[in-house]
Amino acid sequence: MKQFYDFKVEKIKDLSPEDKNLREEYLDLFYKNGFPNKKEEDWKFTDLNSILSKNFDNITNKDFLLDNKKLNFINEFEHNHIYLLDGKLISSDLTYEDRNKISIIDFNYKNNITIDKNNSLNLLNNALAMGGFTLEVSKNYKLNKPLIIYNYFSKDIKETIINNKNSIILNDNSELTLINYIDNKSKDNFMVNSMENIEIRRDALLKNIFINNSKSAGYFYKYIKSDLEKNSVFENYILSSGLKFNKLDIEINLNQEYAKSTIFSALNLLESEHQEIKTRINHNSQNCQSYQKIKNVLSDQSKGVYQGKIFVKKIAQKTDAYQLSKALILNDDAEFDAKPELEIYADDVKCSHGSTSGSIDLDSLHYLKSRGIPEKEAYKMLISGFLGETLEKLIEENVKFFLLKKLEGQINGN
Amino acid sequence: MLSIQNLEARIDNKNILNGLNLNINPGEVHAIMGPNGSGKSTLANVLSGKNGYETKGLIKFNETDLNDLSTEERAQKGIFLAFQYPLEIPGVNTNIFLRTSLNAVRKAKGEKEIDTLTFLKLIKEKASELGIDEKFLSRQLNVGFSGGEKKKNEILQMKLLQPKLSILDETDSGLDIDALRIVADGVNSYKNKDNAFLIITHYQRLLDYIKPDFIHVLSNGKIAKTGGAELGIELEKTGYANIS
Amino acid sequence: MKTEDLKNTQEYKYGFTTDVENIRAPKGLSEETIKFISKIKKEPKWMLDWRLKAYNRLKVLKEPNWQKPKYPKINYQDLYYYSAPKSASEKPKSLDEIDPKILETYKKLGIPLVEQQRLNGIAVDAVFDSVSVATTFKEELTKKGIIFCSISEAIQKHPELVKKYLGSVIPLSDHYFATLNSAVFTDGSFVYIPPSTRCPMELSTYFRINASETGQFERTLIIADKGSYVSYLEGCTAPMRDENQLHAANVELVALDDAEIKYSTVQNWYPGDKNGVGGIYNFVTKRGACRGKNSKISWTQVETGSAITWKYPSCILQGDNSVGEFYSIAITNNFQKADTGTKMIHLGKNTKSKIISKGISAGNADNMYRGLVDIKNKASNSRNYTQCDSLLMGNKCGAHTVPYIKNNNATSTIEHEATTTKINEDQLYYCNQRGLDQEEAVSLIVNGFCKEVLQQLPMEFAVEAQKLVSISLEGSVG
Repeated sequence: MKQFYDFKVEKIKDLSPEDKNLREEYLDLFYKNGFPNKKEEDWKFTDLNSILSKNFDNITNKDFLLDNKKLNFINEFEHNHIYLLDGKLISSDLTYEDRNKISIIDFNYKNNITIDKNNSLNLLNNALAMGGFTLEVSKNYKLNKPLIIYNYFSKDIKETIINNKNSIILNDNSELTLINYIDNKSKDNFMVNSMENIEIRRDALLKNIFINNSKSAGYFYKYIKSDLEKNSVFENYILSSGLKFNKLDIEINLNQEYAKSTIFSALNLLESEHQEIKTRINHNSQNCQSYQKIKNVLSDQSKGVYQGKIFVKKIAQKTDAYQLSKALILNDDAEFDAKPELEIYADDVKCSHGSTSGSIDLDSLHYLKSRGIPEKEAYKMLISGFLGETLEKLIEENVKFFLLKKLEGQINGN
Repeated sequence: MLSIQNLEARIDNKNILNGLNLNINPGEVHAIMGPNGSGKSTLANVLSGKNGYETKGLIKFNETDLNDLSTEERAQKGIFLAFQYPLEIPGVNTNIFLRTSLNAVRKAKGEKEIDTLTFLKLIKEKASELGIDEKFLSRQLNVGFSGGEKKKNEILQMKLLQPKLSILDETDSGLDIDALRIVADGVNSYKNKDNAFLIITHYQRLLDYIKPDFIHVLSNGKIAKTGGAELGIELEKTGYANIS
Repeated sequence: MKTEDLKNTQEYKYGFTTDVENIRAPKGLSEETIKFISKIKKEPKWMLDWRLKAYNRLKVLKEPNWQKPKYPKINYQDLYYYSAPKSASEKPKSLDEIDPKILETYKKLGIPLVEQQRLNGIAVDAVFDSVSVATTFKEELTKKGIIFCSISEAIQKHPELVKKYLGSVIPLSDHYFATLNSAVFTDGSFVYIPPSTRCPMELSTYFRINASETGQFERTLIIADKGSYVSYLEGCTAPMRDENQLHAANVELVALDDAEIKYSTVQNWYPGDKNGVGGIYNFVTKRGACRGKNSKISWTQVETGSAITWKYPSCILQGDNSVGEFYSIAITNNFQKADTGTKMIHLGKNTKSKIISKGISAGNADNMYRGLVDIKNKASNSRNYTQCDSLLMGNKCGAHTVPYIKNNNATSTIEHEATTTKINEDQLYYCNQRGLDQEEAVSLIVNGFCKEVLQQLPMEFAVEAQKLVSISLEGSVG
């Protein structure tokens, strides 16, 4: 197979000799395996090596020239923001908050996630990571407004890879709604490899939303590792349609009693878009809850993948875990693959999963049509209902309204 | 208004309707009764244009050949089917559905689309007539509704869309006596000399409240007997066994 | 029979050994061993060539390691690949010629081969270690044109059928254990049902491992020609030994147009003792091809034995409108491990498949459902329904569900549901309140949990299987 990538640590400026050596070691480890392929269980339905080799001639890493852009603000609701350009922290704005209660600082290469040695993208990230942020919310502080992370990318990004690392810490009884927003219309192929470490302490609540502004030829991989303490809540809403490739790899550790996590995903994939949601929920303590609802609508030659694993430790009695994946396949060239997995070692638990895939429900379609609604409109109505239902639990009405509008736009092909 | 001649219908290689004839004029209420499997619901489905049936024979609705029309076109022309089992459609808001539906029908008639405010006023008014709680309207379509609530929602849609021919497919099944009365009042208040009803039912019960002009007994995909309102009472006593 | 083997027969009542003189192949896996097997079976050259081709492929294949139950490395050079009672080296022509000790063995197993000519309405092929020792009801079946004999006999008498279908569902070099089987298989059953024929009785093979240090590599081939029907059942037992013995069978089914094959297994190999010592490694490849239109293959399995069970009876739905079914109960207790499930590959239009899997785990056992449903691009209007339920009894065991679901067709539907729970306390309480003790209550509830699968078994075996379900769980509730 052709070599389609060429990564070099020396392209990163101003490294200490010690850092440089460490990064070189990680890069060597990456080169041993290269990009993951379908022989690896975690990449069974997504052969990244072959996808990248087909779409890239030579991916390289660069130390970017930062061309400061004007942010195109979301004006549907008031919000704070962080501005990331090529994964690096440029600025932040906490207009609506008490500045003493939140700290946002540049990433710290060393003080970050322990990596999974079997995950070659983690290795690559450790070799090449150049930016990111560390966000910490103080005890008992609840943000007044959501915080949007604007992800922008330089113009000259063709055939390059961006690696960054972020950390988010919510101290006891704090609350934050975070919106990961990618605003990019690049027609040039590029790749983004992120690692994110999330700590949610006692009684804290984090809402994590993923949405894109438009279609982009970006290939995104994001690894999120999260640890939840007693009685904390972690909600995820994933509406990241529009990217050429996207894989969200989410690990949630429910480490103490009464911790709770949810993942809602609504993807409407077109053309040759390929998105995978991979989750691993570790029930490490008793009385924890996890809930996942994954929905895909697949048109054209698109491919949707869900790999979800619920792991229940021996001590995690009274676990309540559920995963549901539903897919509508609108074209014979589209594909949906799922692997909803349960691994359970405690007996007093309620664990189940369901997965369906198939065509749109013809009886529902008939019902709408019998009320005079034209077929095309009825289709769209069913699709937006099917996907929009995942936002049911989101209580911020203005954010929800914004997301539904975006979803509608995706369905109407805007 | 509706003229059915020699209608045959097949599904999955099974003959369900075998030469059915029926004429309905404006202002009339027709009831179709018959045992399970006699083809009652198939008749409703075929009239609404549901996919999956192979049909032969003529169905004319105000001089239009229905065979040429899709489900939504029939609805836009004024044929309404109250479903035996109204579908639950998650994620679709009842209000939005009703407004989209009403506007589609209005547009087909060449009327102007109704704006949100006017619509909300209209729907609230119709809902209160049927004793439907307003909060139902902001919920997902039929999701988590009780059997009675679903049926009331069907009648609400009928009153909103103002069809010429309303087909009620076993609308009485699963209703308690209070809900039955509300549904019947809804129908009676809408009934006038320009519209017509086709009521499909198992029991006389609903016909105690909505008086039919004709009762037809369906058997083996054909109308085996036709009579006036008194036929229903007779059937209640003797059953369908004697009719074939 | 050795007296020490009779200890604890309450737990595993088939754990005795039969003392017969054996003929064995030289120990170890080699070209010589394969030639020895082929020679003793008087096989034609094409068969030996086929085996050697498999052996050559085997040299480059690696033992798979993706499965969950891990096992100590098997020393393939330390096994006997052929072992047969001396008395059976020439297959007995009639039942009178069979070694009385072997007849006694089958009688003890509940499979009388002689008395009143055997079980009612069931024709049995009895396989003892590496050879088929008897096949009953042969004449009656022959009259209808049905061939039911050992695969060794079929290789000699019906080479055209064997050549055409052997390896046509499980290719020669499919995976390590299947290829090993192709190289060294010793015996097994062969069934051919002619067109438009309904087999008038259940066909059954009873497998018995007797000799020690012996691997059993049986091969079964069933062909249902156009418009035919057959119901086939296999049962298996082995003596209690503290060594692990390997059983690596290949079963191939072919259903042509409008044909139906129903294949049921009650697997009760020795599971090892309470501490996980000994027991059979049951590494089996079972695959059926619904090759013709409107054909149907239905697998039913009740897996209660073996130290490790590792098998995925599968259906390849090639013919339009073909149907595949998989009904499974897997019970693991003590240190048993099971990794089992199915694959349903939809290739033809309007194909349907159904999977019902019930896993029960007790003691320190591990029970895994692993399955693939794959609806390909051309398989329009196809459907799958899968229901996987797991029951955990106690807090030292594990249940694992890993379904792989692939849908590549806009008109096809896949539905999958799975649950994992413990035994329902309210149900237990209700039964206790009606006077049942804990074990009776558990047995009742578990049998209820498995009902959908048990219903699929032929009557006589359903009763047997129900008892087996109860026995397998004895001592698992405190």
